[in-house]
Amino acid sequence: MEKIALCLALTSCLAWPQSYGKKAPSVTMAPVALVTVTRGQAAPVGLHFRVAPGFHINSNTPKSEFLIPTALKMDAPTDIALTKTTYPEGKDMSFPFAPDEPLNVYSGDFTVTLNVRPLHTVMPGKYAIHGELKYQACDNAACYPPKKLPVDFEVKILKGAAPAGKNPAQSPHAHR
Amino acid sequence: MDKSHNPESDNPSPVENETAEIAALSPVEETAAAQPAQAPQTPDPVPPPPARRNPAALFFVAAVVAVMLFLGFHAARRAGAGGPPDSLDPAGKPAPDFTLASLDGKNVTLSDYRGQAVLLNFWATWCGPCKIEMPWFIELQKEYGPQGLQIVGVAMDDASKEEIQKFIQEMGVNYTILLGKEAVGQQYGGVDVLPTTFFIDRDGKIVSREFGLQSRSLFVDNIKKSLSQGHAVQAQK
Repeated sequence: MEKIALCLALTSCLAWPQSYGKKAPSVTMAPVALVTVTRGQAAPVGLHFRVAPGFHINSNTPKSEFLIPTALKMDAPTDIALTKTTYPEGKDMSFPFAPDEPLNVYSGDFTVTLNVRPLHTVMPGKYAIHGELKYQACDNAACYPPKKLPVDFEVKILKGAAPAGKNPAQSPHAHR
Repeated sequence: MDKSHNPESDNPSPVENETAEIAALSPVEETAAAQPAQAPQTPDPVPPPPARRNPAALFFVAAVVAVMLFLGFHAARRAGAGGPPDSLDPAGKPAPDFTLASLDGKNVTLSDYRGQAVLLNFWATWCGPCKIEMPWFIELQKEYGPQGLQIVGVAMDDASKEEIQKFIQEMGVNYTILLGKEAVGQQYGGVDVLPTTFFIDRDGKIVSREFGLQSRSLFVDNIKKSLSQGHAVQAQK
C-alpha cells in the first residue's frame, strides 16, 4: 500500500510541473526577514525578485507609453508609513521582435527597496505588510497578460526611547 | 533567508526518531537474510515492534495523491504540448462566433464575414511582438483584401478606447479593430499568449492557429489556405 502511494505521489509530482510550468512566465519574491524598527525611525527593506529564465519584464520606466511598467503597490496599516520606493535601473536590451528598438527591462534578479517608518503613535508589536508587484512579462516572441505578485513581509515595531523634551513632568530628571 | 539556530533541533523530532529506528533495524534484517546458515541466535529480549500503519493517514495520503493526479493530468490535457492552456489543435473546428464593438462604436459579429477568409489576431498595445506584425497585416490586407481576406484585430487591452485609437493611428492600421472582452478570449482557449492568430476559412472553420510572433511567410501561407477553403459568397458586410 505504501509503495503504491509513493509511486502515485512521484507520478503526480512529475505531472504537475509539466502541465503548469512549461510556458507560464513567473516572477517570484524571496522571503523577507523580519524587519525590526523603532517607532519614529525608518528602516530600509529590500524586496528581492527573480524573473524566470527566458522572460523579461518592463522596468519601472519603460521607453514607451504603451508598455506596462513594473510597479510596487503596498497597502500598509495606518500609522506605518512606507516611503522612498526605489526601483533599480532597467537594462536596455534588444529582442528579435524589435532589434532596432531596445527595451528597458528587468531580467534575472532585481531588488526594489522601500523605507518603513512607523509613527510614534503605533503600538509596539508585529505587523503584517501586504502589497503587490504588478508586472507584464514577455519572451523573445510573445507577451503575457499583466500579473500581480503578492508581496508580504512582517515588521516588528519597538517602543524605543521617549522623544526628548516632551512631557517633562513624567521625566525622572524633572524631580532632581 | 537567514534562519536562526533552533535549539530544539538538537533533539530529534518524533518523526526523526522513527526514521532512525527504521534505519537501525534494516541492516539487522539484511544481515539475517544474508547469513541464514549461522548458528541460531538467542532470542532478542525486546523484539522489534511490528510496523504500525495508521489506516486513516494512509487513506488521507492516497486521497491527496488522487486529487493531485486528477488536477495534474487534467491540466496537462488542457496544456497540450508546450502551449498555453487549451492548446488542443482547433483546426477544422468552427470558429466561435462573437459580437464586439469596433473602435468607431459599431457592433461587429464574426459570422458576418462568412464567405470571406478571416485572419483573427488577438493583440494588445503593450505587446512588442504584436507591434511587429501590424505593418505586415496592413500590407496583407491591401494585397489579399480584394480576394476576400478580412483581417480583424481584437485588442485584449486594459487601455482605454482612446489610447487604443491613438496606437492604431500611429501604426496606420487599415483593418478592423475590435475592443476585446475576456469572454471572447475564453471562447478561443484563453488567449494567454499574445499575439495569438487564428486563420478562418470562408465557411467559418479554423484553418490554423499560431502563438507568438511568426514569420511573414507563414502568415501568407495560412492566408492562401484560408482563401482556398470554403465557399466564396458575397459577404454580408
